[in-house]
Amino acid sequence: MLLSLLANPAVRADLYPQTTRTARPLINKRRWLRCAEGVSLWLAVLLMLFVHPLYAEASDRQAGQAEEAGQLYLVDSQGNRQQPALVLDSEFQVRVSGLLAETTLTREFRNTSDSWHEGIFVFPLPEQAAVFGLTMTVGERRIVGRIEPRARARETYEKAKSAGQHAATLEQQRPNLFTSRVANIPPGETVRVEVRYQQPVSYRHGEFELRLPTTLTPRYMPGELVVETATQWQSGWATATTQVPDAAEISPFTVRAADVDERSHRARIELAIDSGFPLAGVTSPSHSLVTETDGGRVVVRPEGREVLMDRDLIVRWRPLTGREPTAAVFHQQWQGEDFLMAMILPPDATGPVLRRELLFVIDTSGSMAGESIVQARSALLKGLDSLRPGDYFNVIQFNSQAHSLFARPVPAEGHYLARARQYVEGLNANGGTEMVGALSLAMAMEPAPAEGLVQQMVFITDGAVGNESALFERIRTGLGERRMFTVGIGSAPNMHFLREAARWGRGEFTAVHSAGEVNRALNGLFAAMEAPVMSDLGVRWPTGGNPVETVPARPGDLFQGSPLVQVVRGVPAGGELEVSGRLAGDRPWNIRLDLGSAAPASGLNRQWARGRIDELMDAARLQGEAPDEPAIVELSVQHGVMSPFTSFVAVEEQPARPAEATLDTEAVPTLLPAGSRDGMLRYPQTATAWPLLAALGLSGLMLALAMLLMNRRPA
Amino acid sequence: MMNRLLLLLFGASATVLMFGLWIPFKALVAQELLALAWAETQARQVEARPWPWADTWPVAKLALPELGVSMIVLEGLHGESLAFGPGRMVTGEQGPVILAGHRDTHFRPLEYIEPGHRVQLQGQDQQWQQYQVTGTRVVDSRTESIDTSTFGPDTLLLVTCYPFDALDANGPLRFVVEAKPVNRPVQKDTVAAL
Repeated sequence: MLLSLLANPAVRADLYPQTTRTARPLINKRRWLRCAEGVSLWLAVLLMLFVHPLYAEASDRQAGQAEEAGQLYLVDSQGNRQQPALVLDSEFQVRVSGLLAETTLTREFRNTSDSWHEGIFVFPLPEQAAVFGLTMTVGERRIVGRIEPRARARETYEKAKSAGQHAATLEQQRPNLFTSRVANIPPGETVRVEVRYQQPVSYRHGEFELRLPTTLTPRYMPGELVVETATQWQSGWATATTQVPDAAEISPFTVRAADVDERSHRARIELAIDSGFPLAGVTSPSHSLVTETDGGRVVVRPEGREVLMDRDLIVRWRPLTGREPTAAVFHQQWQGEDFLMAMILPPDATGPVLRRELLFVIDTSGSMAGESIVQARSALLKGLDSLRPGDYFNVIQFNSQAHSLFARPVPAEGHYLARARQYVEGLNANGGTEMVGALSLAMAMEPAPAEGLVQQMVFITDGAVGNESALFERIRTGLGERRMFTVGIGSAPNMHFLREAARWGRGEFTAVHSAGEVNRALNGLFAAMEAPVMSDLGVRWPTGGNPVETVPARPGDLFQGSPLVQVVRGVPAGGELEVSGRLAGDRPWNIRLDLGSAAPASGLNRQWARGRIDELMDAARLQGEAPDEPAIVELSVQHGVMSPFTSFVAVEEQPARPAEATLDTEAVPTLLPAGSRDGMLRYPQTATAWPLLAALGLSGLMLALAMLLMNRRPA
Repeated sequence: MMNRLLLLLFGASATVLMFGLWIPFKALVAQELLALAWAETQARQVEARPWPWADTWPVAKLALPELGVSMIVLEGLHGESLAFGPGRMVTGEQGPVILAGHRDTHFRPLEYIEPGHRVQLQGQDQQWQQYQVTGTRVVDSRTESIDTSTFGPDTLLLVTCYPFDALDANGPLRFVVEAKPVNRPVQKDTVAAL
């Protein structure tokens, strides 16, 4: 570098004489010629010194270090590093009618490269989704997918893929997490995959709510790493652990919106709400909406043509005051069988004020960093505010380790509350998500030194873990008399975990979408925690002596503002449904509902089948055995609804990819949820342009000198 | 005509070269100024700015004894500060210490770093913290981020661009050196440093 610095003035010095050379005598000319020759020789040597090692070492490195170079390359079949080739487009068409929402989700995989590609995309669906259709469109051809046992579907897909046929498959990894694979996307062309699913609409506190997840919070995989050779069906950033053997399948790469193609990862969303009653308004805490009313139908879409897929879309609608439904019955006949769905909202009832022992458990793991931990802290502070004199409480935070503020629950008195507030305000998010430790700590905690306390736990988390099943088991077996209430945090929480953890913990769940939502979400939850509105629920369908299968088979206690929803097979739309229970304060309550007035509906059979599959999975957990796979596969195939053991697969018969063309595989990343910082830092830009500038400058000088010499010689 | 053209080419090339060489020159000179500011920082225990209009200040001194280099580390990672010295990334309280520098100026010697080499870092309190390189790897910054939760707060990461000899300044590859502290009596090193 110093040498070149020295060389530079020399070069500049001999620049002036050239401009006036015409008047110079021959001797002078010769001297200049020699001088120029010398300088150019020096420059040549310098250039050699400078440029040569670049190539020598570059090739050296490529040969020697190829193996240890980063583990996260996308490498094509020739071993070249791959630029993202696939652009992803999504469109959600949602039709809400009654208590069910049916969605057609179209994904377009656009291949922008000039080689054939296989696309892999891991994406979330609503946690109660019943997936019932997969259609692949290539050009003009539409291929309808069929449901097959999981292993066979993989085989069908793999065979088609290697034969060069267009193929698509959809697999369930978790009830709310799916993988879609599309094989043989031609260069420059687009393959559309249409997924159809339905989900129940939530109705709580007089408000309907629908949640459409578009991305997921990267999940923590507890357990020891399992060293094994990767199979071709793995595509994630995480490797299998002892507790999450399928970690690689549920860990799509997460990138920022700026890191994907500017046309990619955008969704067009449209909801058509056919509620059957006049609406007071449609709102969303996550997006601003454009609403069009068309008779009894309301069409809603987020503002702007497309939205970025970095947060859940939440849409809420409220009936006009006084018009809130308190009961509804729907009927469908499917393949000669009757299906009924009933919704009954018990009256609000206030019981005696209970004295409680409340454990607040807050997730302070790395995935909560950013906006989430702020929301979680304010949710917890709100929880502390809800304590009354006579209550006992404690605060547990967990990340890689769990830590409790007090050794045992303490009375909700000024001094303790002040310490707790201070503790909560100082909480930061970092580290792993070892939930089992936190649950164990809470469960093993010595009870408060007072009699007759109702034991409750409030669990505040984004649910970003891969070992949900083990956690449900821990909650089921270890919770005892305690009820568990979950609070979901962040713009893409794992709602499957939150809902199921609350169900196994015989509690309720809620989700906070933004800091401004904390009050609204938690007021509802704390009201529910006062006491279950109704217990000892009994539901009697007019069966006429035949055995019927209801879903859920045994409804749990109902909390304030939440209705009972049950689906039944084999009961015709006639007679009366009788529901009885005990309200808070030990008052008996019952209601009769005329089934003859049931409104027609569709999709009830799928709702029932999905519920039955869940019941079979639950039964297996209760008995500690493997699930009844053949029964689940049969249900799934019969009703065309996906299950953990069945997948959709669509195959075009004619091969499309020529035998000599190779196929590259690309895992399409998901977007980092909005507001999440995640402890993930981007690598900084750590190079300057000076080697390039110096090389350019030097070669320019070389060229100029060479030209000068050539110019001189004939003269 | 030909001469005009030649002159133009000459002038343009020389200018480009000057601009190019200005960068390493600045990097060299800045470190001298920074050394003064660092001495002042340590003496007065304040954040001394190396020159009045600087938007950064020295936070540590980094030494790689096996490679025979030492340099002053600046706060922050914006392009301006990296031109004068390696920068310390803001990682929050619990995160590892992450230093990043340009591969073609200050962190050029990292090319020859090997596991087992010593890395020394002197903080504002004049204490030298001893680290030992545990490994190096190359990552693709488009598909991988630094997951601070996977490193302990005592880890030291040195980050620079890769490959070292590439001409493209916007390449996606990064060279990451991971170092762990060595448990040695701190007193002895302080004495040695004094």
